[in-house]
Amino acid sequence: MTVARLEEVTKVYRVGDQEIHALAGVNLVIEEGEFVAIIGPSGSGKSTLMHLLGCLDTPTSGKMEICGKDLSRARPDTLALTRNREIGFVFQSFNLLSKLDVVDNIALPLVYSGVSAAERRSRATKTAESVGLGERLRNRPTQLSGGQCQRVAIARALVNNPRILFGDEPTGNLDSVTGKAILEMFCGLHASGKTVILVTHEQSVAETARRVIEIRDGKISREYAP
Amino acid sequence: MSLFLLLETALREIMAHKFRSALSMLGIILGVSSLIATMSLTAGIEKGTRDFMEQIGGLETVTVGNKEISADKMDFWNLSPGRTLMDAVAIRASAPLVSHISPEMNHGAAVSSGSITDRKLITGVWPDHFTVAKHELAVGRLLVDLDVDRATRAAVVGDSVVGQFFPGKRAEDVVGSTLLLNGSPFVIVGVFTRYERERDKARRDLEARNKGSTPRAGVPKWRFDRSDPFRRKNEAILIPLSTMFYEFKAGLFPLDAMESVRVDTLTLRVSSLDRFREALEQVRATLTGTRRGVDDFELETREEWFDRMESSIAATRLSGGLIAAIALVVGGIGITNIMLASISERVREIGIRMAVGARGRDIFSQILVESVSVAFIGGVLGIVAGFGLIELLKVVAPQENPPLVEPSSILLAVGFAVSAGIISGIYPALRASRLEPIGALRYE
Repeated sequence: MTVARLEEVTKVYRVGDQEIHALAGVNLVIEEGEFVAIIGPSGSGKSTLMHLLGCLDTPTSGKMEICGKDLSRARPDTLALTRNREIGFVFQSFNLLSKLDVVDNIALPLVYSGVSAAERRSRATKTAESVGLGERLRNRPTQLSGGQCQRVAIARALVNNPRILFGDEPTGNLDSVTGKAILEMFCGLHASGKTVILVTHEQSVAETARRVIEIRDGKISREYAP
Repeated sequence: MSLFLLLETALREIMAHKFRSALSMLGIILGVSSLIATMSLTAGIEKGTRDFMEQIGGLETVTVGNKEISADKMDFWNLSPGRTLMDAVAIRASAPLVSHISPEMNHGAAVSSGSITDRKLITGVWPDHFTVAKHELAVGRLLVDLDVDRATRAAVVGDSVVGQFFPGKRAEDVVGSTLLLNGSPFVIVGVFTRYERERDKARRDLEARNKGSTPRAGVPKWRFDRSDPFRRKNEAILIPLSTMFYEFKAGLFPLDAMESVRVDTLTLRVSSLDRFREALEQVRATLTGTRRGVDDFELETREEWFDRMESSIAATRLSGGLIAAIALVVGGIGITNIMLASISERVREIGIRMAVGARGRDIFSQILVESVSVAFIGGVLGIVAGFGLIELLKVVAPQENPPLVEPSSILLAVGFAVSAGIISGIYPALRASRLEPIGALRYE
């Protein structure tokens, strides 16, 4: 099954009276179960591509289909629903809510899918244990190390059992040992059948994936399997 | 997001920033407490005024007064006998819409009992007087038609009279005692209840509780309080009108012409307010007859006076309400302000929530519930502060009428606070809900 299909997708930002073509005609198909890395220097459009694939934004023109749904002109609420059900994000800077403890952070997506409090708790606890945070359920993010924070973020991304898992420079804020461990988790998730998309500018990180897509000046410049 | 979770999130947010929350509540607290205080103050004044109006006879009471005659009709003046007992007799006979008519004749007399003597105003009345003046009997009996027909030497006295002339005695023991009016013995046949304002009653009750004894109602310390509207009623010494005439006024008029005797006041009560105008017409027609066509009387109704009281109550209420409304608006602006500040501090949080699937409306309700919670807590604290304020006002500026906290005013105050929370939360909530997830996530 195809989880993402982009056809002649462009994205134009307007800054003052200047138009910036962040994406200039991208064609891309990602099948379920793939492990894809999107690589490119900053300003290449890779973040814009991830925002589109991650349903955080809609294209200026072209067709965008995510998990079988045409979202080219989707309203913000439809995008939010898709993000909630089909997509999990792991960010470079973790993006955890410091006011909430580990369980509540992990359960956050469930809050917006209308899951009852008891079920939220049990599902979040189970997911926390699966990423090795069983001992830290009641801690706040400020009491955790960077690697642990990123595990919380991964657990949060997985708790709603989405089809696509995004990693936006997931190892960028971590030392090499911890970064490696996090990457291994992504590999493991891919092995268990999850579609994983990594966005990075580091060649070494990209080469963990099975398929590398290089972006340059808003276009796919090269695609290869490492 | 369920309401419970929204509330939990809001409370967590409020508790996480206690000082900021307290600041944003302050305006609401002030607004609600001043609303409660002014509403209970005006409610107290209103109740006191209504009670007093009721006590003095209400709207149904009409007084027959004198009117200056215009200079060109001076010649006719002598034709009119003036306000005489004849007026009362005629009204009773020919104004069926008048239910009670009370002519009164006053006389300053030396009143004595035992060794106590004082000059007092005694009043001759018809039995109708008790209804018109809204007298209530504590013990004994009122004067009846027979007393007037036979010109008995019977007197009904107010509570203060008992206190002054029979010190230490209770009203029950005084009935049957003799009171000398200008040397003539009168038997006290009845004593009125003590008329007092709410605050006097409250003070007396308090003193009684402090002393742990039953108060002597008759001799209150504040008997000579000139502002007491019930002073005259409590000092009344009422005797039959005929007795007054024969005992004290006979020398001044021909004996066979009692009906031409001038009376000091003439007060009447109409049977129903619905036919008030009609009743006044009947009285006017009758009096035009007894005054031989001379227009030397006027009918003083209390309508105007009551209207004035009502409108001054309304004005007090309006100005108090306005002050409270302004405070609430200011409080609402405070909430808006602080919610906006708190949102710009939480842009990233909102971005994260949106990234995991929060829709605009989820963010909207989160912020709105937060601002309503702030306002509601402020409202509750404001009610508590309002009660404190009322207690403070009672001590600092004792009112004629004690403040009266009505449940409706509490409800109204909470309603206003919650509305202020909703109105002031809408704009920040809207702004938060319209954030772009990408921009919000990048926000540092």
